[in-house]
Amino acid sequence: MSKYVDVIINGFKEKVPEKASISFLITHFKEGDTDLIVEHNGQFVYPQKYAGAAVSEGDRIEFINPNFGG
Amino acid sequence: MTNLSSEEYVRYNRQIILPEVGEEGQKKIRNARVFIAGVGGLGSVSAYYMAAAGVGYISIADRDRVNADNLNRQILHHSQDIGKPKTASALEKLRQLNPHCHIRAVQEDMREENIMELVGDSQLILDATDNAETRRLLNRASVSKHIPFVYGGINGLNGMVTTFIPGETACFECLFPHKAVEKTSVAVLGPVAGLTASVQSMEALKLILGMGGLLKNRLLYIQCSDMTFREINIRKNPDCNVCNTERRGMI
Repeated sequence: MSKYVDVIINGFKEKVPEKASISFLITHFKEGDTDLIVEHNGQFVYPQKYAGAAVSEGDRIEFINPNFGG
Repeated sequence: MTNLSSEEYVRYNRQIILPEVGEEGQKKIRNARVFIAGVGGLGSVSAYYMAAAGVGYISIADRDRVNADNLNRQILHHSQDIGKPKTASALEKLRQLNPHCHIRAVQEDMREENIMELVGDSQLILDATDNAETRRLLNRASVSKHIPFVYGGINGLNGMVTTFIPGETACFECLFPHKAVEKTSVAVLGPVAGLTASVQSMEALKLILGMGGLLKNRLLYIQCSDMTFREINIRKNPDCNVCNTERRGMI
């Protein structure tokens, strides 16, 4: 059985599978915007790295929708 | 550079007396060439500030006509302008504000075929478009011409600004490599556009004056709902297809 860890996503505590990737979290939390901005423990994550970036206990993730209006 | 006239001394006095500007800085502003991509919510404010500061050469481009539902935020356009091309309406107001600026107004859609010509010999690009696709074009012009691109975007109660400098910072496509799904009719309150465009205008003037302290590799994220301003640290993306020259050679 897979282990779960507590992470903070957009300020809320969530239980997610240990070593879940950013890609998994985007799908899981239905962050639909293709041009999403992701911060992992205060660091910007390039979209090309979403699949390989794994989360650990206590990590802070921010999903920010970009602003493209003018 | 030609000395400032007595009229210029009076008109720009409040900024000339700033140590960061002075007479030399005002001459730099007078000789500056800025391209403003769009004269909607953001462009209304940035174009107004560029003209007010005395930027010598301002190019503006927009494809749209003024609509009634623009007027809550696009403060360059007035009720009697509804139906007019936005660039004509903008040109009229900017000339009234400062007749000394040389203003080139082009009522055209910004496309791959004309973007390099529209940007021309401008020394920086002020982003005031309403979609990611045009921003990609502006970004490519910025990288190709090696000139700064001051990105600004708004949505609802939020705004974002950063200054992309080719060779020094990340570029727009380092952050947003995907083709965005376009959203039409973005909700927005006027001051969000004003606030975001004011930050962009400040960045533009600092670039013109050669000042430091720019939003380099810092994406300023403004949330008006709780009035927080925070920064997201960004870096050049080694996998970027646009600004990574080695990869550019491959595509």
